[in-house]
Amino acid sequence: MASLAKRLLVIAGALLLTACGSKSYVVLLDNPDGTTGAVVVKGAKGEQVIDQTGQGAPVDGSAKPAVVPAADIQRDFGSAMAARPKLPERFLLYFEVGGAQLTPDSTALLPKIIENAAQRPAVDVSIIGHTDTLGRAEQNEALALKRAQAVAELIKKKGLKVHALSVESHGERNPLVKTPDETSEPRNRRVEVSLR
Amino acid sequence: MRRWFLIAAALCATLVYAESPPIGYVKNVTGDASVVTAGQARKAEVGTSVHVGSVLRTGQQASLGVTFKDETVMSFGPNTELTVDQYLYEPGQGKLRMNGKLAKGSMNYVSGVIAKLQPDAVTVTTPAGVIGVRGTQFLLKVEE
Repeated sequence: MASLAKRLLVIAGALLLTACGSKSYVVLLDNPDGTTGAVVVKGAKGEQVIDQTGQGAPVDGSAKPAVVPAADIQRDFGSAMAARPKLPERFLLYFEVGGAQLTPDSTALLPKIIENAAQRPAVDVSIIGHTDTLGRAEQNEALALKRAQAVAELIKKKGLKVHALSVESHGERNPLVKTPDETSEPRNRRVEVSLR
Repeated sequence: MRRWFLIAAALCATLVYAESPPIGYVKNVTGDASVVTAGQARKAEVGTSVHVGSVLRTGQQASLGVTFKDETVMSFGPNTELTVDQYLYEPGQGKLRMNGKLAKGSMNYVSGVIAKLQPDAVTVTTPAGVIGVRGTQFLLKVEE
């Protein structure tokens, strides 16, 4: 009899532990763009992979992923989800061959960038210049910087107040479209503007 | 002699730490929240900078949203503490790493460029286990 009581106590203890453990947990959601990634949980009690949206698992790895009720998500994460900042966005601006002159289409895109940036609290902007592989690498390093600086100037002229700004050159090192050396490629003559 | 050298080294490390460039900024706050960087606590406000080693804290009924250089977005519910242990974002050099330590509370995480370029480079550590982030959005709760 005593041994049965003891056994029940052990079982109750195990259940209690499971309940406590499950209070720290992770839930997978879709990416804002609609794609789904995965999270891997590695804890003292095992390893789990969650790759289905809406499923969750304890962080100690003790249980397989299972659907988390929407009410639980709201109770535990409503506040964190409501505090999610506006997601960062990227814009690509393209240039005429050999210089820092924007194409007409890209010039027309500038007001949209300004408008988007102006909606962000403490906007943090990075401007990265690129070239195609036409010409020498060192010259392209300088040309890409000139392009990035030209965009920074244009944005400043439009009166945008930025909280932080970085202007960089990736030269010909980071093409959007891979090409052989000495290739004119309009899609690589670009500046990336990241608004955060 | 050796001890002095160690102390000097520690001091240098602290100085570098204090002057490390921002890796992100606070975007929104409700209630009481703070950012502790190199031992100095600052009230979290829109625009407060976050650095490697910063500790982000929210009080009761508070929340906080932060956007990082690589476009990772994190937001926190009440009674939360997250330390940005590691953050390396130099895609040109292939140096990519991010680790946050969630000691308690709740967070909403949207992964950025680091997780896109190097899926095994992003982790969030909790007292009970480690979350590996494979380019996604997730929610994480740590109860003390």
